[in-house]
Amino acid sequence: QRKKEMVLSEKVSQLMEWANKRPVIRMNGDKFRRLVKAPPRNYSVVVMFTALQLHRQCVVCKQADEEFQILANSWRYSNAFTNRIFFAMVDFDEGSDVFQMLNMNSAPTFINFPPKGKPKRADTYELQVRGFSAEQIARWIADRTDVNIRVIRPPNYAGPLMLGLLLAVIGGLVYLRRSNMEFLFNKTGWAFAALCFVLAMTSGQMWNHIRGPPYAHKNPHTGHVNYIHGSSQAQFVAETHIVLLFNGGVTLGMVLLCEAATSDMDIGKRRMMCIAGIGLVVLFFSWMLSIFRSKYHGYPYSFLMS
Amino acid sequence: AEPSAPESKHKSSLNSSPWSGLMALGNSRHGHHGPGTQSASSAAAPKPGPPAGLSGGLSQPAGWQSLLSFTILFLAWLAGFSSRLFAVIRFESIIHEFDPWFNYRSTHHLASHGFYEFLNWFDERAWYPLGRIVGGTVYPGLMITAGLIHWILNTLNITVHIRDVCVFLAPTFSGLTSISTFLLTRELWNQGAGLLAACFIAIVPGYISRSVAGSFDNEGIAIFALQFTYYLWVKSVKTGSVFWTMCCCLSYFYMVSAWGGYVFIINLIPLHVFVLLLMQRYSKRVYIAYSTFYIVGLILSMQIPFVGFQPIRTSEHMAAAGVFALLQAYAFLQYLRDRLTKQEFQTLFFLGVSLAAGAVFLSVIYLTYTGYIAPWSGRFYSLWDTGYAKIHIPIIASVSEHQPTTWVSFFFDLHILVCTFPAGLWFCIKNINDERVFVALYAISAVYFAGVMVRLMLTLTPVVCMLSAIAFSNVFEHYLGDDMKRENPPVEDSSDEDDKRNPGNLYDKAGKVRKHVTEQEKPEEGLGPNIKSIVTMLMLMLLMMFAVHCTWVTSNAYSSPSVVLASYNHDGTRNILDDFREAYFWLRQNTDEHARVMSWWDYGYQIAGMANRTTLVDNNTWNNSHIALVGKAMSSNETAAYKIMRSLDVDYVLVIFGGVIGYSGDDINKFLWMVRIAEGEHPKDIREGDYFTQQGEFRVDKAGSPTLLNCLMYKMSYYRFGEMQLDFRTPPGFDRTRNAEIGNKDIKFKHLEEAFTSEHWLVRIYKVKAPDNRETLGHKPRVTNIVPKQKYLSKKTTKRKRGYVKNKLVFKKGKKTSKKTV
Repeated sequence: QRKKEMVLSEKVSQLMEWANKRPVIRMNGDKFRRLVKAPPRNYSVVVMFTALQLHRQCVVCKQADEEFQILANSWRYSNAFTNRIFFAMVDFDEGSDVFQMLNMNSAPTFINFPPKGKPKRADTYELQVRGFSAEQIARWIADRTDVNIRVIRPPNYAGPLMLGLLLAVIGGLVYLRRSNMEFLFNKTGWAFAALCFVLAMTSGQMWNHIRGPPYAHKNPHTGHVNYIHGSSQAQFVAETHIVLLFNGGVTLGMVLLCEAATSDMDIGKRRMMCIAGIGLVVLFFSWMLSIFRSKYHGYPYSFLMS
Repeated sequence: AEPSAPESKHKSSLNSSPWSGLMALGNSRHGHHGPGTQSASSAAAPKPGPPAGLSGGLSQPAGWQSLLSFTILFLAWLAGFSSRLFAVIRFESIIHEFDPWFNYRSTHHLASHGFYEFLNWFDERAWYPLGRIVGGTVYPGLMITAGLIHWILNTLNITVHIRDVCVFLAPTFSGLTSISTFLLTRELWNQGAGLLAACFIAIVPGYISRSVAGSFDNEGIAIFALQFTYYLWVKSVKTGSVFWTMCCCLSYFYMVSAWGGYVFIINLIPLHVFVLLLMQRYSKRVYIAYSTFYIVGLILSMQIPFVGFQPIRTSEHMAAAGVFALLQAYAFLQYLRDRLTKQEFQTLFFLGVSLAAGAVFLSVIYLTYTGYIAPWSGRFYSLWDTGYAKIHIPIIASVSEHQPTTWVSFFFDLHILVCTFPAGLWFCIKNINDERVFVALYAISAVYFAGVMVRLMLTLTPVVCMLSAIAFSNVFEHYLGDDMKRENPPVEDSSDEDDKRNPGNLYDKAGKVRKHVTEQEKPEEGLGPNIKSIVTMLMLMLLMMFAVHCTWVTSNAYSSPSVVLASYNHDGTRNILDDFREAYFWLRQNTDEHARVMSWWDYGYQIAGMANRTTLVDNNTWNNSHIALVGKAMSSNETAAYKIMRSLDVDYVLVIFGGVIGYSGDDINKFLWMVRIAEGEHPKDIREGDYFTQQGEFRVDKAGSPTLLNCLMYKMSYYRFGEMQLDFRTPPGFDRTRNAEIGNKDIKFKHLEEAFTSEHWLVRIYKVKAPDNRETLGHKPRVTNIVPKQKYLSKKTTKRKRGYVKNKLVFKKGKKTSKKTV
């Protein structure tokens, strides 16, 4: 009995020492067997089995590893940090015997080793179903071990940095051209910027931003690439780009029509502009209508193109 | 081109004079000679500016023009009104959907009990057991408008039922919306564009979706208030008169009383002022307009009980206050300019403006931090941080109108307008002036909001109509009719007159020379009648397609009352599925007056409105934990659910089940949201993952997860459904909505019993049984073969504190005299 307690306290202090060094403890076969497998435990260990070596070419592993590190860090530096739970990882190239022992053939896999007994079925994280975001893993851990971890992502400095850089560049340009501030009063530039924003919004880029659809869909059997989503409830990124182009085309056509009538170029050019304008309007609008028809089943009307 | 000839004549005759009006506006930066006279001239003679009167008035009498505009506006009103009547003609005069039922119920309360009773109304039939203070938690504008119309009509002895007033309120207001859109567009561009915009907004589906007859909702009147407020704002910026600003404030007050979307106004107008300051377009007019608007508008908006002190306590309104302070500082510095030298002024100016801006910003942050100002509410915050709601507030994310917008729904709601309105924006920015800054900001902000939330398509629609109308009217001005050559000389004349007004005779001569040259060029200047007529024809064709599209969309997509469903047979005959009203009427007739009905929150208003029974949760989703409790009851097994239902005093449970007729909006399809919302509050008991299969699918058939197959919602939906064979091709218990044979056909209830199922099984009502007098044991009493010989008595006395081992052999030792007896 005494010996057990000794072993246990030794294990815990060992783990704590490592955990203090780095939140996710790297393990090989020996360590894994001694600290995770062997029975006297009063702590849970959440182990990520992964293959991070470059030659394994596991992209998902890398992303999952980042999320796991975020989670472990949030736990390590939270106020509630105790020795109830440890985070560890086993790389395939360092502990392939562990993989064989657990009869595992896919990475990454998250398994929670509870303090008592063997991992049950629910102790294996359903990666396919729940995804590998740190929040989801945290919920799973809370579920399995009653340890609530508030995921604190390190603030993403890229966005503000880029913004700051952009502002600095703009500010620099303005400063360089301070003698000549004409371009700030350039209506065409402002109008163009406004149009870009409006076109981006009406073509559903915000939907893409929120929902994150694939760029296009490739049929795995025929290899045929679909750019247009078949349903009116969803869209591909490629499709929104097409729509943006079409909307822009119609707009350009309308502007050309007016330019043709008002500008003081010679009459031949103006005729060309006029015809190009009306052509753009009619062509792109009817094309757009036909795409709309293919998405919105049962829509009866079409124009020039079916 | 024969049939379109008269129309083209109308258009051209309309446009002839405003075009020159535009010319006048083009150089309006020299001085606003237009507005002064314009405000003086009454609305009966809508003529933009004196130069137009000179050029257009000569060829066209003003009376003829205004008659034509009145006719067109009247026809637009009529067209808009009648295209919103599909639902009334097909079904009957009935209130639609969900929210309108609450509005109708409270309007009814207002009409029958009076205004003060309505303001003090505590509704104990909602949110049992909490209740709801209706008077303080609604925007009363809609009810008061309908109640007022009802009162006036009845005072005039025209007896109309309040329901009919409610049903036809939104179509009537659509006419007012088109008139105010006309006024606004006329201020922005010209009269021709205004008329086109009025026609567009009368029939555009993006607006019809919220204003068909029977959809008695805030938005129906709010869009009118929005447009009218904007018109009056533009008018007051143009004129700088306190009169127009006061009108603007009153209109803003009406908007605040009608819809929560007034926040859009109170942020857009300061933004306009701010951008005007940035563009160095500050003027006394802007100062007068904004200062008056902010103060009076603020005080007026605080009169609405529901709004209360929000305008000074919440972040949504802080931009307006900040801009107000900034404008005062700016105006003060402008005043100082006369007292200081130029050099002094410049340093002071930049210092002052940046200091003022910084001070305003910092004080807002400080006040927010210390809690004087509430931070952004979740609904508004989710507009900026688009991922916020999905993670943190499932109740907002679950509402279908809070989803982002696909391009298909943009096109569906706006058709050709969505393609052409950027062109209108282009023209506006190219010929910028104070009010066009406003419309550009309006367009850009509204298009962003519409992209984030489908629901806000409604605020985008008016500006799209206006800008599209500007684009189209710009094209038609140049291409419609062959009167270009006829028109040119008067325009030249008017510009000539402008030249004459400028000091210096040299310009006069130059102008004459130029005129000479243009006259020489004129024969080869026109694009030729062929091209013009082709362009005109194609444009008119596009507009015609737009009209056809609008009618089709209105008829097919937006005219379903959703209380009454219709299905069509192969031969075109129609079946009316009136299950909802059947079930609600059953509740009304057969249950105790104070019975409490539990259902998902979607149906709360309808149960209150049609069945007149107490509900637990309803569409006013103010209490998330209460909703989560109902969601938990729905997604737990029967025993756990019964405990919750007992604690909430539920008498009946109502579920919507579409499996028999293939109705997709039923509770099983909404079920995952119930689980998610319940999980948000009770993560220990409900887990979303339990309701999926191993593969992560949501299935109701045999492969579905056992938790799902045994939860209350599943059991109530599919009770006795396993015995039902719908047709011969499918097995019994085949769910038509999800195209699957259900997995649990043997459903038995212990604490519930089926009370009512409507004709097509759409609504199913269950009665919650009262607890039995004596709870029977669910299982047989446990039988063990250890028969207790005697009752166990603790042998621990104060003397013998040693441990006691059960069934320990007791050795009888020889007798020993105890100490006590000695």
